[in-house]
Amino acid sequence: MMTSPATDPRLAIDFCGLAFASPLVLLSGCVGFGEEYTRVRGFSNRDVGAVCLKGTTLAPRLGNQPHRVFETPCGMLNAIGLQNPGVDHVVERILPGLDFAETRFIANVSGSTVEEYHEVTRRFDDSPIDAIEVNISCPNVKEGGVAFGNDIAMSAQVVTACRQATRKPLIIKLSPNQTDIAGNARACLEAGADAFSVINTLMGMAIDSERRRPVIGNNQGGLSGPAIKPIALLKVHQVYQVCRPHGVPIIGQGGVENGRDALEFLIAGASAVGIGTALFYDPLLCREINATIADYLTRHGLERVADLTGTLCLN
Amino acid sequence: MTDRPHRDTIALEDARVLSQDAYPGDQRILRLAAPACARDARPGQFVHLRCDPRLALRRPLSIMRADPDAGSIELLYKVVGEGTRLLATRRPGETLSLLGPIGQPFAPHAERPRALLIGGGVGLPPMVFLADALRRAPPWRPFAILGSEVPFPFDLQPARHPIAGLPAEASAAMPLLDDWGVPNRLASRQGYPGCFSGYVTDLAEHWLAALDEAARAEVEVFACGPHPMLAAVADLARRWGLPCQVSLEEYMACGVGGCAGCVVEVRTPDGPAMKRVCVDGPVFAAEQVFFAA
Repeated sequence: MMTSPATDPRLAIDFCGLAFASPLVLLSGCVGFGEEYTRVRGFSNRDVGAVCLKGTTLAPRLGNQPHRVFETPCGMLNAIGLQNPGVDHVVERILPGLDFAETRFIANVSGSTVEEYHEVTRRFDDSPIDAIEVNISCPNVKEGGVAFGNDIAMSAQVVTACRQATRKPLIIKLSPNQTDIAGNARACLEAGADAFSVINTLMGMAIDSERRRPVIGNNQGGLSGPAIKPIALLKVHQVYQVCRPHGVPIIGQGGVENGRDALEFLIAGASAVGIGTALFYDPLLCREINATIADYLTRHGLERVADLTGTLCLN
Repeated sequence: MTDRPHRDTIALEDARVLSQDAYPGDQRILRLAAPACARDARPGQFVHLRCDPRLALRRPLSIMRADPDAGSIELLYKVVGEGTRLLATRRPGETLSLLGPIGQPFAPHAERPRALLIGGGVGLPPMVFLADALRRAPPWRPFAILGSEVPFPFDLQPARHPIAGLPAEASAAMPLLDDWGVPNRLASRQGYPGCFSGYVTDLAEHWLAALDEAARAEVEVFACGPHPMLAAVADLARRWGLPCQVSLEEYMACGVGGCAGCVVEVRTPDGPAMKRVCVDGPVFAAEQVFFAA
C-alpha cells in the first residue's frame, strides 16, 4: 500500500509559512491551471504539497505555432510560448474553480516588461492564490523571460517590482542558461525573494535533417527530463550555498522521475522537489515518490523530510 | 461547489498485449486487454501508450475497435519513428502502460443519417470504430471510403453492398465493414486491384454527385488521415455545403490537457485560438481548422 502524505506527517514541510502536505510540487506548464490531471483516475492534487499553475501574463497569449513538443534522448523539448488567457481570466474564472482544500496553488507570473511583471503580481496578490512564482527564465518567448533571467541586474529589478506588488511568498524561478546562477540568486534575495525554483529548462534545438528545418515551431525550445538532472542538481547545490544562511527554501527540479531522484535534490539543498516531465509518462508517480521518501526517512532514522535538506557531504 | 465533470474520465491501466500482427508497409494491428478503456471508449478517441520505458514520452494512437465485453481494444499503427519501432517489438503477454480513452469523440447528428466516413492510411482506425458504432444505431446509414498508398492491412474482397454512382473500378471492399453491412469502397494511387485509382475525395465526389438533393441534405462527413487529405475533405465538404468533422494528430506530451503541447490553431467567434488536440480534440469541426482560401 502506497503511503499518502495525508497519513505520513513526516513528509509535511513548512514552505515560506505555507503548510505543504508533501515536499513534492507539480511544476508550472505541466499541469495547466491545476485541474487537467484530475481527468486521470487515481490522480489527486492531495498527493503533492503544491501545484504551480501555468505561466500567466497581463493579456491573453496564443503561444507559439506547432510543433511545440518533441522527444529527445532522455527528455523532451518544448516551446509553448506562454499560451494563457491573461491574469484577469485566471483570477476571475479559474481560481474559483480550484479546490484549495486539496493542496496549495502557486501562480506563475511572466511578462515582457518589468511593469507587466509588477501588474500581474499585483492582481494575483488580490486573489486566494497561496504564493507567486516569478518566471524570469522562460526560454520560449521573444522578449522578457530568459532575457531578464540571464541578466543579474534585470533579474533583481523584476524581483523588486514584484516584491512591491505582493506580500505573498515570492518564488523566483532561475534560469540554468546563465554563467553565475548563485550571483543571480544573491541579487534576487537582496531584492526581496522568499524562495527559488531551480532550474527552468535548458535551451536546445532539434533538427529535421530531411527538411533541414528545426522541428520546433519556435526553432528552439526548453530541454527537460532526466537528461538535465545532473545539471539541475549542481545548480541547486550552488544556489543552496547562497540560501542556507538566510533559511530561504529551494524547489529543486529538473528530470526527477523517481523517489531516489527526489532524495538527491533534497540532499543537494532543496526543501521541496518539482515534478514535471515525468508526469507525462506516469501521472501517478507522486504517490510512489512520497512512499520512497517516507521509507528513506525510516531507514535513516530521520524524523521529518526537512532534516534531509542540504545534508550533502562533499568529498 | 464547482462541478468537475472532467474528473476521473481517463483510466490508467497496464494493458496486456493479446496479439500484434504485421502487415505490409510497416503496419501493425495491436490488440490489447484494457478493460477500463474498452468499456468507455467512443469513436474518435485515442489511447496514450508507453511504448517503452526508455522513452520520455507516450505515443497517442487512435482506437480502431473496442469490445467492452471482452475488455479489449484494437489499434492500427505504422512504424514511423523510435516509439512505434519499439512498440512493434512488444509480444503477446507483455504489458504496456495505457492512458485512455482520451479526447472528444465524433458527434454525429441524427438529422443527417447518411454518414460519409473517409479514412486515409493510419487514419483508418477511427473510421472503422465509427462505422461499428453507427451500424448499431438507427437511423444512421454509414458509407465508408478508405484510402491507402501502402497495401491495405486486410485482404480485399469484392464489395457485397452495391452503391450507386461509383466508377466500376471501385469494386473491392474491406471485409470487416462488409460483414457489418456497412457499404464501403477503397481508393489508392498505387493501382491495387478493385481500388479506385485516385484520391478518396475524388471517389467521394462521384458518390455525392449521384445523390439527389434531398439525400445530400442528409449527409455528414467524418474524416481522419494525413493533413493534406483532411484539407481536401474539408474543401469537398465546403463545396457541397456539408457539415464535416475531422480527427487531427499532433506531437503530444502529456495527453491529458496539462502541457498545451499538442495545439492546433482554430477559428472561433472570438478570433483565433489555440486548442489542444488531446482534450479539446482530436475531433474538430472542419471549418474551424481548415479555412476557406
